[in-house]
Amino acid sequence: MSRIARMALCALLWSGVTAAAGAQEITVGLGSEPTTLDPQAQEDGSERAVNDNIYETLMVRTADGSLAPGLAAAVPTAVDATTWLVKLRPGIKFHDGSAFNADTVAFSINRIINPKFKSAQLSFFNTIANASKVDDLTVKIITKGPDPLVPVRLYWMKMVPEAYAASDKFAAAPIGTGPYKFVAWNRGSNITIAANPDYWGAKPQIQKATYRFVPESGTLLAGLMAGELDLVPNLLPEFIGQVPKSAHIQSVLHPVLILNADGGITKDPRVRQALNYAIDKEALTKALFEGYGKIDQGQLLSSDDFGFDKTTTAYPYDPAKAKKLLAEAGAANGTLQIVGTSGRWLKDRETVEAVAAFWEQAGLHVDLKILEWNEYLKRLWDRQSRPDAIYVASKDPLLDPDRPFSTYYQAGGMGASNTDPKLAELVTKARTEINNEERAKLYRESIRIAHDQAYLAWLLTYEDLYGLSQRLTFSPRPDGKMLVSTMSVAK
Amino acid sequence: MAADNQANWAARRRIAAGWAHHLWHDKAGLFGLAIVVLLIVVAAAAPLLAPYDPAAQALRDRLLPPAWLAGGQLAHLLGTDQLGRDVLSRLIFGSRVSLVVGAGVVLLAGAFGTALGMLAGYCGGRVDDFVMRWVDTQVAFPGLLLALVILVVVGANVPSLIIVLSLNGWMVYARMARGSVLGLRQLPYVEAAQMIGCRGRRVIFRHILPNLTSPLLTLSILEFARIILAEAALSFLGMGVQPPGSSWGLDVAIGKDYMFRAWWLVTFPGAAIALTVLGVNLLASWLRVVTDPREREKQFARRMARKRHAEPVPAAAASVEARP
Repeated sequence: MSRIARMALCALLWSGVTAAAGAQEITVGLGSEPTTLDPQAQEDGSERAVNDNIYETLMVRTADGSLAPGLAAAVPTAVDATTWLVKLRPGIKFHDGSAFNADTVAFSINRIINPKFKSAQLSFFNTIANASKVDDLTVKIITKGPDPLVPVRLYWMKMVPEAYAASDKFAAAPIGTGPYKFVAWNRGSNITIAANPDYWGAKPQIQKATYRFVPESGTLLAGLMAGELDLVPNLLPEFIGQVPKSAHIQSVLHPVLILNADGGITKDPRVRQALNYAIDKEALTKALFEGYGKIDQGQLLSSDDFGFDKTTTAYPYDPAKAKKLLAEAGAANGTLQIVGTSGRWLKDRETVEAVAAFWEQAGLHVDLKILEWNEYLKRLWDRQSRPDAIYVASKDPLLDPDRPFSTYYQAGGMGASNTDPKLAELVTKARTEINNEERAKLYRESIRIAHDQAYLAWLLTYEDLYGLSQRLTFSPRPDGKMLVSTMSVAK
Repeated sequence: MAADNQANWAARRRIAAGWAHHLWHDKAGLFGLAIVVLLIVVAAAAPLLAPYDPAAQALRDRLLPPAWLAGGQLAHLLGTDQLGRDVLSRLIFGSRVSLVVGAGVVLLAGAFGTALGMLAGYCGGRVDDFVMRWVDTQVAFPGLLLALVILVVVGANVPSLIIVLSLNGWMVYARMARGSVLGLRQLPYVEAAQMIGCRGRRVIFRHILPNLTSPLLTLSILEFARIILAEAALSFLGMGVQPPGSSWGLDVAIGKDYMFRAWWLVTFPGAAIALTVLGVNLLASWLRVVTDPREREKQFARRMARKRHAEPVPAAAASVEARP
């Protein structure tokens, strides 16, 4: 298509959505509107995109992904196996002037772990038993059992003001301690935030940010090309060449297929290995994801993640070996069921269709079902009957193996399709191991077992792509947070 | 008896000849018929016409443009899609699902809705109340939810898709049919038929139904286009056609994401949908004219008028007409 035609299309799609962003203002395009702005209630990417700038956490991830104190004065210390002490930074105030102190922290922690609150984020914190104030700037956290991950968990938990959190305005007009203050939420259209002049840390350059909700990906792209939007997350790799500027970083998502080790055609480990050999991961990465990704080295982790095992590498693409293994297992012309979903993860339908084609090439008859999201979830979490293979994008927002491993590797895990007692024991042991060196060792051992037994068909880890306007500077972060305070615009 | 039959046949032949004659003069209708016939042939002979298996992938050859553009290959006349599948082959095979679902739903929902609507309008009273409240209830009920429940129970495939879309689509026909019947019931010839003792069934089907053809056809065409797109939406969510099968609507829904890079993914199946709707529309507009009794009367009147113009006007008659 000619450039003129494309620009005309942009203008057409974008007509009606106008607002010139000023010198130190930016506009961010989001695919969906936040369901709430209560930072502790939902598990919602659009909510986080806004609230990551308004609220803060005790621990933070630095630009390279390592943990550092945020609202805490120092890294929490373990007093004994189940007790942690957190020292707080003094002199921090919420946007409404109320003080940030040990009471606030204890309240925030106890609020989110209260089963009556029904937080969608509860699974991140369900090892915490309670939190209490020691003195004005010290909080004691008690865990249900030994939990080495408390500092990591605290990086995910946003601190809320106690008095205001009870107000019914809280979910619509948030008040935090962060570098930006909430200004307005025009339902169905946009949310505005502005720089907090009393912020305790470094002052951000950008004074105002507007989040627009544009459900149509083509319209988002048109807005970016027309200069109306400055930042668009979740860009498709196909559009890298067309946006003014782009940035990318390793995603926390690992698309895989969980293979049923307990029954059906995939019960034989040779079949599961064959399925891994049959997939051309190079073609998936280079062609389907246009090079914006890396082959998953058979471990559900990225190469710089904690617990990554350097000695384990991906099954190479070897269709001949796949056919041989299938023949040995007596499954040469067998039928295999795959369950997938559509429109939830980047290229989910395309990925699973591509994998199905590779398995067809290996001689199997593939019965592929693309299910509606709720129906798909029911199959994914169904512990009674497991599909031969089910697609999932494993998510690891805490950047620690515990969550993905206990979900997809450990027997009895929500999405696991094996009953390997040895593997389950390793994962359980690692969860309560305080020594980090020992923990990493346990994870490496579990990776080797899972890989040898081919409990999953590992594919790749793709990259999160951001489309940027010409004037915006932004380095994507490993934790996926879009912190406006780390961005700047050319004047 | 034999002579009777013969006369009957002759009459039918005359009507058919009249229709054909009319079609020949209605060039737009002829064009519509050509398109519809072409589509049916393409759908039926898809395996013979398609150059490739529509599900055959070549990841490294993905998103190739159509042959006449730079980078395109003659082997893939209309380019390839996001998984390197041949767009032309998918277009040819996709016609099957789109046509079957579109026609199936229109027939099923149309027959059911019209029958109930006519019954309600003709009988009135409690029957009318019952049917129309049923319609109201179902219109108020969220269609997607109903679709979900049914598809979970029977599984997602083309027949269940047709049933689900029919269940969500028959209400408009019922409302339309009832409204028309209420008006037609008062007409003298319907009352006359009732008076001479025709049974209700005969009155409904012989005397009322032909009058509904015209609005029914118009509504069906509108529905046909809507159904093709509704099928795409359901299939996209995983509640309809399952891979490796596909349909035009589904290809448009998926190709939309790539629109700025690969316009051919949306354009060709989109154009196919547009062409189908156009063809059906033109054909239906001819069908509407030849089946509508009122249109027939008008034509009859026109023919008579022409005849009269051709003959010399009798002087006596002219003088009679000139009088006040």
